[in-house]
Amino acid sequence: MGEPRSQPPVERPPTAETFLPLSRVRTIMKSSMDTGLITNEVLFLMTKCTELFVRHLAGAAYTEEFGQRPGEALKYEHLSQVVNKNKNLEFLLQIVPQKIRVHQFQEMLRLNRSAGSDDDDDDDDDDDEEESESESESDE
Amino acid sequence: MVERIEDLNLPNAVIGRLIKEALPESASVSKEARAAIARAASVFAIFVTSSSTALAHKQNHKTITAKDILQTLTELDFESFVPSLTQDLEVYRKVVKEKKESKASKKDSNTAENANASATATAEEAPE
Repeated sequence: MGEPRSQPPVERPPTAETFLPLSRVRTIMKSSMDTGLITNEVLFLMTKCTELFVRHLAGAAYTEEFGQRPGEALKYEHLSQVVNKNKNLEFLLQIVPQKIRVHQFQEMLRLNRSAGSDDDDDDDDDDDEEESESESESDE
Repeated sequence: MVERIEDLNLPNAVIGRLIKEALPESASVSKEARAAIARAASVFAIFVTSSSTALAHKQNHKTITAKDILQTLTELDFESFVPSLTQDLEVYRKVVKEKKESKASKKDSNTAENANASATATAEEAPE
């Protein structure tokens, strides 16, 4: 798939300072089983590129939906759409999945069971998307 | 290894600030979107780390280098990140070098001060 519409990158002066905590990024890097020694330089670089990624993902999702219009609201579905559209974000398909309505899920279940039973469920059209929200982690 | 999955969470406030910087003025971000971006960022860091580790091993290196990360980003189609990261890295290396040098020169000046102190003490004792 094509890359998201090219957005003039906001020029930030290069800096050795980081916003994200290095210790937390080190913990995340260590959770990759085969990671060996992590030098300070590599830790710095990984922290910086994670920050870049946050900006990139948020910017791409907003731009895809609203262009550069100010004052709009970035929502979950904008993220899942941009994840689905971009090849280099494929690794996030299970992290930011597209939501489905409860009744669609029930329909899928029914189709899977179609070989067996033929029960007639009551399908109320539930508009509350929160119910089909993917499992979220709680913060410390 | 991490004991709790929460240890992989990046701080909400910082994630929120980074997101705001990327969006036009007065844009808002839902809590759910911010949480999803925070999760995505952690997964991105793991993804780049494991890909960089694989690249290093392919070259028979045990430790990943900055070069491995930059090459990995290109291979994962995030080459647009590379120029600004390269500049940040240059600044970082300069800062590290300067810190080392200032530490060394501080040590030298301490030695010089000690020598002066000894000389002064000796000079003071001489008249007696």
